[in-house]
Amino acid sequence: MADHTADALLAPRLTSAQAAELASSAGLTEMGIRPPLGRYAAQVWQRRSFIWNLSASRAYSKNQGSYLGQSWAVLRPMLDAAVYVIIFGFLFDSSAPGIDNRAAFITIGTFTYTLFQTSVMSGLNSIPSNLQLIRSHRFPRAVVPLATVMTETVLFAPILVAMLVITMVTGLLPGMGAVWPTWSWLLLPFAAVLLAIFSSGVAMFFARVGARAPDIANAMPFILTLGRYASGGMFLISAMIPEGAWYRPILLHQPVAIYLELFRAVFGNESLIPMTPMLWLEAILWAVVVFVIGFLYFWRAEETYGRD
Amino acid sequence: MTEDIDFEIDPENLPKRLERKPLGPPSVVVDDLHITYRVFGARRGGTTRQRTSLWDKAISLGRPDTGPITEAPAVRGVSFVAHHGESIGILGTNGSGKSTLLRAVAGLLPATSGRVFTSAEPELMGVNAALLPRLTGERNIMIGGLALGLNAKQVRESVPKVAEFAELGDFLYLPMSSYSSGMASRLRFAISTIRTPEILMIDEALATGDASFRKKSTARIEEIREKAGTVFFVSHSLASVRAMCTRALWIEKGELVADGDVDDVADAYNAFVEGRTNASSGAKLR
Repeated sequence: MADHTADALLAPRLTSAQAAELASSAGLTEMGIRPPLGRYAAQVWQRRSFIWNLSASRAYSKNQGSYLGQSWAVLRPMLDAAVYVIIFGFLFDSSAPGIDNRAAFITIGTFTYTLFQTSVMSGLNSIPSNLQLIRSHRFPRAVVPLATVMTETVLFAPILVAMLVITMVTGLLPGMGAVWPTWSWLLLPFAAVLLAIFSSGVAMFFARVGARAPDIANAMPFILTLGRYASGGMFLISAMIPEGAWYRPILLHQPVAIYLELFRAVFGNESLIPMTPMLWLEAILWAVVVFVIGFLYFWRAEETYGRD
Repeated sequence: MTEDIDFEIDPENLPKRLERKPLGPPSVVVDDLHITYRVFGARRGGTTRQRTSLWDKAISLGRPDTGPITEAPAVRGVSFVAHHGESIGILGTNGSGKSTLLRAVAGLLPATSGRVFTSAEPELMGVNAALLPRLTGERNIMIGGLALGLNAKQVRESVPKVAEFAELGDFLYLPMSSYSSGMASRLRFAISTIRTPEILMIDEALATGDASFRKKSTARIEEIREKAGTVFFVSHSLASVRAMCTRALWIEKGELVADGDVDDVADAYNAFVEGRTNASSGAKLR
């Protein structure tokens, strides 16, 4: 290739050893290598206002480009809940024995699962859909999945308010127990924060998977639908799974089921689902453990994000 | 994007030739850099490797028009040393690997093999100007500045300055998707130089600016070079490379063909391009 005149113009080439020696004697640092975990975590913490700004701007622009705009953030889970309430609240009404208000039970389960579902989906796509940003600036890449989950959490605030209103309205439906506000509702934001921390861990895990194998984005909706049923989004696990089945403890104590139960317990309208310190403890433990695992897994591939 | 990209530069808009300054210590050392892209869904044949294992046949069953993953080597064994106070032009026909090389040196694209050492975090300005096209110019300045590592207060203070340098006017509060390509690249340049970078890389980004903005950005680049920085400059305009650079690298098909004084390399490159009939490069060269 273009061998004419060119060879004379090439500077003498250094060997790898010479290059490394020159670099270290001039005090240069190597690019494209993964920073140690401690420094990486500190860098992410330093960029917290970046995470916040990115997610707030995203939340604002997310539903632009449709006539109903931001209302879709609330309308989508409402339509979801309506479907499940009709099917599991009225048609197959034996799915939650002992529950006074199945409509509220299903509404809370569906709305809460929405936060987990959207966080995981957007986390999965976070690297491919932010490639432009990743290829323009250098920053710890964990910022990207964290900001996408924070976007979903910000969008969850109006959903939470809608959930309160709809749950009270379900008390007026025929055959459903009344729902009245209680002081424990003030704990809802804390439950939402725990769920968001847990979802961030899952999102960081899948962000790495999704960056390497985009195929997973096609399979994920099915996994998430399965997860909705496995977490008791619309039925009572403890009543539907036979006592003594080996998978019963797994289904009862898997994290998403714990968070759905926590939200229902905080609403405090069902005597069958009491709020216990044990429930909060489990929720906190899952949040911390899954977040740490997700962060570590994401960090292990830090230098590869942005590659095709 | 309705504007045509104008690669031609009027001679009177170019600054006087740069004076050669004595070189400082090394700022970038690139050692045998290789970069290979993975391309999904490439057509079979051509560059696709023949795969015969049962597993490979199985996973490509459902995709008659697509081969398995194709590997496209973009940079193949490039080595060079850059110094402080140097302004380096990178020449090469389209698809020769110039942008890929810059991205890798900037640490934005991981190397497949080889190593890159730098004295500071390089700042790259690419052609793809819009960071977050659905957000306003103002939000883009905020997010760009924060991504650079400034804190929120510093970024807020710099917003008016950046907006003024980029000459955005009322467009500051409109989504970036409504910007012309020139406006977007002006904003991008202004964001990239909020903080004076030690190593600045410019990838065709100034081609879309008009004459007055070129003057302004050239002055800014000079300022950076004066502060003992290193500037890398990719452009298809040989005239602007000659005017803005002291040294040039010529890359062809991912390999370094020439590296030396800008005039020598530019002459050799020019002779090479003019010698090619039906050149695949669409850019005009003087």
